[in-house]
Amino acid sequence: MQMTSNSLETGMTLLARAELQDHLLTVTNDLDHLQSLLTDACETLIEGFVGVTHQLQSLQVNKPANSEAIERAIKHLGSTARALQFQDMSTQLIAHTSQRLRHCVDRLARDAFDGDGDGDEAVVAPAPPRPNPVTQSEMDTGFVELF
Amino acid sequence: MHSILAVDDSASMRQMVSFTLKNAGYDVVEAVDGEDAFEKARARDFALVLTDQNMPRLDGLGLTRKLRETPKFKTVPILILTTESSDQMKQAGRAAGATGWLVKPFDPAKLIEVIKKVVR
Repeated sequence: MQMTSNSLETGMTLLARAELQDHLLTVTNDLDHLQSLLTDACETLIEGFVGVTHQLQSLQVNKPANSEAIERAIKHLGSTARALQFQDMSTQLIAHTSQRLRHCVDRLARDAFDGDGDGDEAVVAPAPPRPNPVTQSEMDTGFVELF
Repeated sequence: MHSILAVDDSASMRQMVSFTLKNAGYDVVEAVDGEDAFEKARARDFALVLTDQNMPRLDGLGLTRKLRETPKFKTVPILILTTESSDQMKQAGRAAGATGWLVKPFDPAKLIEVIKKVVR
């Protein structure tokens, strides 16, 4: 049986779409994995940060002779407090990107099987309603505005 | 001692906020989202609500609106601590009745300075 050029083109398009879908799903899974690693690392870092700060504070009370050095150590630790908030921002970025990817995967699937005659409308995950909520490019860009 | 309701769906952010506030001498109650916060807010009094914006179930703007409809929270300061920095979102915060808009990442000293300014 000889394939018409139209059916060949449709077949290739379907294959390309399936491959593209596969790539997008792989990226989504990798992002989930990255999210788990970030969460785990950040929880450990914050636990350490809080533990060391408490330890230094109690040393400051019990060993007043070293108070100045301990105060400096606490200040150094305190300066990392902003950077330790990276997990929250990364999580939002990853969630936003994953939602957009999921939308693309569903769109590809819907377009590929659109008009297959079964009469069912494919469900497409919605794209994020707004642009990426995290626009900060550095960890020292927070600000305050009182109304 | 003033009590502060700290709301964030991120466990690490809750821990950082809570640690910063407790270190400054405040009593802190944590909530994992807007719904959880609203339940806790109804059960007791707070001198300040410090809430994240993007959360499941009920976000920071929704929580602010619900609290402002509750008589005992009409004048309690509500600060929204968020990654969202757009003017549009800030205006939405203002319209919802928030006292201030703080963009993450927060500087602990600056956060305490702002809280001292709004909590009387």
